[in-house]
Amino acid sequence: MRSKLLLLSVAAVCLFTAATSRAQTYAITNAKIVTVSGATIDRGTVVIRNGLIQSVGANAAIPSDAQAFDVNGSTVYPGFIDALTNLGIAAAATQQQGGRPNGGGGGGQQQAQQAAPASNSNYPAALRPETLVDDEIRAGDPSYDASRNAGITTVLTVSRSGIFNGQSAVIDLAGDSVSEMILRSPFGEHVTYTTAGFGTYPGSLMGTFSALRQMFYDAQRLQTWQKMYASDPKGIKRPEADKSLEALFPLLNRQMPIVFNANTEREIVRSLDFIKEFNLLGVIAGGQEAWKQSDRLKAMNVPVILSLNFPKRTAANAPDADPDPLELLRFRAETPKGAGRLAAAGVKFAFTSGGAAPADFFANAGKAVDGGLSRDAAIRAMTLGSAELLGIADRTGSIEPGKIANLVVIKGDVFGRDKFASHVFVDGKYFEQKEPTSNRGARGPGGGVNPGGGGGGPQLTGSYNITVEIPGQPTTGTLTLQQDGTNVTGSLNLGGSVSPVKGQATAGGFNLTSSVTFQGTSLNITLNGSLNGNNIVGNIDSPAGAVSFSGTKNP
Amino acid sequence: MKKATAYYLMLLLLVAGLRLPAAAQSKGQDVLIRNATVMTAVKGTMEGTDILIQNGKITKIGKGIAAPAGVKTIDATGKYVTPGIIDCHSHTMLDAINEGSLSVTSMTGTRDVLNNTDITIYRALAGGVTAANILHGSANSIGGKNTTVKFKWGHPIEDYPIADAPPGVKFALGENPKRSNSQPQPGVQPRYPQTRMGVIETDRDALIRARDYKQQWDDYRAGKTKVPPRKDLELDPLVEVIEGKRLVHAHGYRSDEHLNLMLLADEFNFKVATLQHGLEAYKIAPEIAKHGTGVSIFTDSWSYKLEAYDAIPYDAYILWKNGVVVSINSDSDERMRRLNLDAAKVEKYGGVPEQDALQMITLNPAKQLGIDKRTGSIEVGKDGDVVIWSGHPFSPYSRVETTIIEGETFFDRQLDAQHRIDMAKEREALEKLDVNRAPGSGGGPPRIPAEKRQSERDRSEFGEDDEDGGGNNR
Amino acid sequence: MSSKLKVQSSKLVGSLAAFAAFALSIFAQNDGSQQNKTGRAGTFAIVNARIVTVSGATIENGTVVISGGKITAVGPNSSIPSGAERIDGRGLTVFPGMIDAGTNLGLAEIPLGVDGSVDVAETGNMNANAKAFKGINPHSSHVNVTRVNGITTVLSYPNGGLIAGQGAVINLNGSTQAEMAIIPEFGLVINYPRLAGFGRGGGGGRFGPQLDFNQLVQRRDAQIEELKKIFHDADMYAKSKEAYAKDKTLPYPATDIRLEAMTPYIRGEKPILFRAERANDIKSVAKFVTDMKVKGIIIGGQEAWKVADDLKKADIPVVFTNIYQSVVRDDDPYDYFYSAPGKMQEAGIKFCISTGDPGQEVRDLPYQAGIAGAFGLSKEDALKSVTLYPAQILGLGDKLGSIDVGKVANIVVADGDMLDPRTNVKYVFINGKMLPLTSRHTELFDSFKDRKAP
Repeated sequence: MRSKLLLLSVAAVCLFTAATSRAQTYAITNAKIVTVSGATIDRGTVVIRNGLIQSVGANAAIPSDAQAFDVNGSTVYPGFIDALTNLGIAAAATQQQGGRPNGGGGGGQQQAQQAAPASNSNYPAALRPETLVDDEIRAGDPSYDASRNAGITTVLTVSRSGIFNGQSAVIDLAGDSVSEMILRSPFGEHVTYTTAGFGTYPGSLMGTFSALRQMFYDAQRLQTWQKMYASDPKGIKRPEADKSLEALFPLLNRQMPIVFNANTEREIVRSLDFIKEFNLLGVIAGGQEAWKQSDRLKAMNVPVILSLNFPKRTAANAPDADPDPLELLRFRAETPKGAGRLAAAGVKFAFTSGGAAPADFFANAGKAVDGGLSRDAAIRAMTLGSAELLGIADRTGSIEPGKIANLVVIKGDVFGRDKFASHVFVDGKYFEQKEPTSNRGARGPGGGVNPGGGGGGPQLTGSYNITVEIPGQPTTGTLTLQQDGTNVTGSLNLGGSVSPVKGQATAGGFNLTSSVTFQGTSLNITLNGSLNGNNIVGNIDSPAGAVSFSGTKNP
Repeated sequence: MKKATAYYLMLLLLVAGLRLPAAAQSKGQDVLIRNATVMTAVKGTMEGTDILIQNGKITKIGKGIAAPAGVKTIDATGKYVTPGIIDCHSHTMLDAINEGSLSVTSMTGTRDVLNNTDITIYRALAGGVTAANILHGSANSIGGKNTTVKFKWGHPIEDYPIADAPPGVKFALGENPKRSNSQPQPGVQPRYPQTRMGVIETDRDALIRARDYKQQWDDYRAGKTKVPPRKDLELDPLVEVIEGKRLVHAHGYRSDEHLNLMLLADEFNFKVATLQHGLEAYKIAPEIAKHGTGVSIFTDSWSYKLEAYDAIPYDAYILWKNGVVVSINSDSDERMRRLNLDAAKVEKYGGVPEQDALQMITLNPAKQLGIDKRTGSIEVGKDGDVVIWSGHPFSPYSRVETTIIEGETFFDRQLDAQHRIDMAKEREALEKLDVNRAPGSGGGPPRIPAEKRQSERDRSEFGEDDEDGGGNNR
Repeated sequence: MSSKLKVQSSKLVGSLAAFAAFALSIFAQNDGSQQNKTGRAGTFAIVNARIVTVSGATIENGTVVISGGKITAVGPNSSIPSGAERIDGRGLTVFPGMIDAGTNLGLAEIPLGVDGSVDVAETGNMNANAKAFKGINPHSSHVNVTRVNGITTVLSYPNGGLIAGQGAVINLNGSTQAEMAIIPEFGLVINYPRLAGFGRGGGGGRFGPQLDFNQLVQRRDAQIEELKKIFHDADMYAKSKEAYAKDKTLPYPATDIRLEAMTPYIRGEKPILFRAERANDIKSVAKFVTDMKVKGIIIGGQEAWKVADDLKKADIPVVFTNIYQSVVRDDDPYDYFYSAPGKMQEAGIKFCISTGDPGQEVRDLPYQAGIAGAFGLSKEDALKSVTLYPAQILGLGDKLGSIDVGKVANIVVADGDMLDPRTNVKYVFINGKMLPLTSRHTELFDSFKDRKAP
């Protein structure tokens, strides 16, 4: 009952969640417990009290005041951690407002770069390391829901705009206020290899490197100068207070890591060169080709926040099209093996969804296991390993008494597509998950349900208000469908851009394709979803990654 | 999990059975090239001659050299060997070419954005190019720092730069820095300078700022000031220019502009290392010779823009006759592959002797880049950078058979033929993987057939801006 | 090139006409620059020369006689007409003048930044009536620069829009367009609809919208439909004009100069030049040509060798342009284009080699053919691909492209293999006129070669 706002938003966009928190004390019983930090307990109990884990064990006593959940052989994991997201950030990039959230719609990165923000920084918007994600995220943001419902309790989040994305924070995906959500802030300074935009320095990747380098040199000098001045100001010109440069001091002093978004080998090499040049604490994020530099990563003790948004072929090739280059075919084949190779080389890493839908986060961790990573290491890279990398391992990441009660009960294989997070606890708050049923009934052997006929399949025809969970930029739209037998046609209105959709009704849902224009780019997408009553939920798959959407049918 | 296992097995098979092309190159080993017609570029052409390369260096040149144990022998009977070709003006293997936002961008450098996966490197090797001057574009009066590289395809990026090559920086004159052929941005104030008058003043201003900046540091070091001056990445390279420690590669076409730049350099007491393009340099050949500047030209590009209208193919000859060190460059991923034929043309236009013509794509660019002590000719003690040709390198009917850098083979026509077969097999295997097959439904766009590979020069020819907003760079 | 010689030779021509053909011949190449930049007509006998006839066997030592603009004798022992100027061909080789069948020569003096000198692309999508013949600048500096390297004839064509206009076959000599023209209205240029544009993929140009694959397919298909519709309209137009000509009682059909220009092309009387590069597009052209019953030529033809059967069935030759171009796809072999002419030859496609150049570097035509000679094409075929083959494709096989009696005397005499960049051209004849070997380049060279510092 504490979180009215949160409840409302959850109710609006989520099907399976009815967050309740009647009691402060819970006991999960009859569970397989993957503690991660210690041995797995085949059948036991986890007790939660006042937001913390009170006890764990095969024979842990169930307190009399506890609400007990007999999970009947399901598995309890520490709450999963997505080690890099853009969750919680209002749709409009906040740098326009000089670091304050504005909550408006539209916008995005390009706009942020062009607008002249109200800021007294000496640097263009793209080069303001002082920006704090704390100031940008908001509590109860609907972007949290899909992740939390899948069992992700904790994320690292940061803005995506600019060369300096600003300073990130580790947050739990529940809380009435941002202060309540924050586990650690700031975590690190994030850098993306982009430019300040056309006609503004730096306007090229080359300029980006030299601009970054100059700022670090300037920060070094300013720090020295300020120290000199502090010790004896007489006879010395007063050093300027420069909040942008001052934000780099902790990086230079190795008190805060610099996180480079780098996927290709050469981006990673460039990042490592830069880390070495200024003797920084470095982290590579994305890291799709990090395995190619595993020796150097190991030698430099640079961990990787490894993306599970694996490249994939999303469309059959047309006769007129060029074949995929060999390099791309290789890239798709090799990327899922990267985690196993990094593990073998002794490089530390944690998994990030890389913007992929939560379902892909887990399924692709499974692909990493297929690609040579041990199961335990995969789980670790989503729990304790991430917590260590993010500096929160003393509080989260494993199931141990005294740690924060971030827990998830998983029914089925955690890496399987059919897995279901039945109970999610964030900071000891319980989020109940109702198991989806709509798809299951239809899936019998030879289950010939005719969705269009009178066989009980959903009648899709209608108009739906939907929210697409584009990370950091949830976008609302309207999906209008017309069903004729198993054929479905209609249109998708997203951000004012209308695109036709067509496809098939499936048992319980639909499978559609479309081509949409989003922020000036045309994307071929697929929409897979299910309809349950008036609620619609599903995934949109695009070359840029997969995102979930949900919504309701208009009366 | 059956499907996943099969997929995994397939990947294992792939890795075991097929090697990536980069790995397919033979690693550096000692090489003996036997019985070739060797065009040394310095001591004439030697028939029936062997070249021994050991530990990356040429150790012996002569007839009937005994093969040391373990040395790889290449029979070059009937074939020609030349020094590796050096391209003194290239923008290949770059992820960004121009920092076009400002008029002086000497803080930038191509070293930061080298891309060793660019296939044009391999194609240049197939044209006999072993080294190149990787330059910033010409969108501004003073551009970024260059990188002098050897094309060690398949090696890590850090192996490309020639460690002891003197550093350089790009200057540019004329139409490009004054943005003559760029589309104006609506609502944006045109960038200074817009005239040739402004271009030379931009250079003068930057050099004066560098001089003053150096003074600040000198004062600080002499204890006159307490707070260390700002380390200015823009001015540091220009201080090096004034001190003669950094080479200036000056893009320009009109002779008057190049002359003015040399006069400006005289004021600051340094020499311009190369006049790049210099298509009108023949008009001021005696002045160039006097200043001691090299010229790096095209042999026969002309009339593609106004400042190239007076370009003539006799440029090389007139400069050569005046004693100027001339090189022939490509400024193009495409042209780079046939610099041998461009050199052949200077025999025709004016009558430059064969060895001098060969020097224009080997020893002379090496001199201009300050790497002639290690490469550019076939001499004992120099790097084993050589090209084996099927016939005379100036004949259009000749092909590159093998390109060797420091004893390591980076291109070989027979290996290339094998490589094509390997690639086809690898493609077949990869395309069978689930991850490379289209799902029953799905989005992602098919690849639009490309008809033209957009090199920087192509873009400039068609007047389009490149993605850096730099525009016409040529 | 020496002014002393020029003066001397001009005197000789003036006063000693009857004398000493031998002496004349020594200085003959210098005459033109003094007298007439468009050359000097006469009867010439190139003696003791190696003659590469192209059409037949090479004659190691023989004579070529030029008279009345034509080749009148070729052979080891041809008789020399009295009064003929003798040219000593010892050490020299006689070739037919080269032909580049895919240029915009004369239409774009300085393409970048000097719009006033550019007349390549008319605005609008349908310009069947636009004629290169009316746009070519006979005094372009590219003309002389090109011909002194042995290229005597080019096809110059416009290239804007869907139907770009008509290309002209011209000799590289003449003070007027008419003087230059061999076939003023040779062929209709169609930029055959394709997925990618000539510039960046995704087509919309710099300021246009970037289109995705499916949109490009739709646009391409719509353009092909548009093209068919134009053909249909042109057909109906021609029929109505024809009907009216026979029956004046019919209402007079209004004249449309654009459609009017289409008539000879839709009827297959003249060839249509389809610009197309990729295998699929070329296949589509072949189908279009067959369906529409027109005469087609491919200009471009990067991947023509992949669709040989389609091309042969539809009897479409290929003007293969710019062998130098960078290989487009990373996975294609480095010699993808170098080896294309050899593959076309092997596949039995009728083809020729062209620079595809706007004008400045058409003079590199021999070296483009030379590279093909290094990658699968025989040296003989490499030479044919810039002489006889283009002549045949241009419908001039009986007039140009080889050294045969009766052919137009477009002849080059050089001191070596014409496809070798080291070779010097010593004489050029167009229509039997001996041309000066001067150009903007030689003039600037002469002005500055001996300059000393003040």
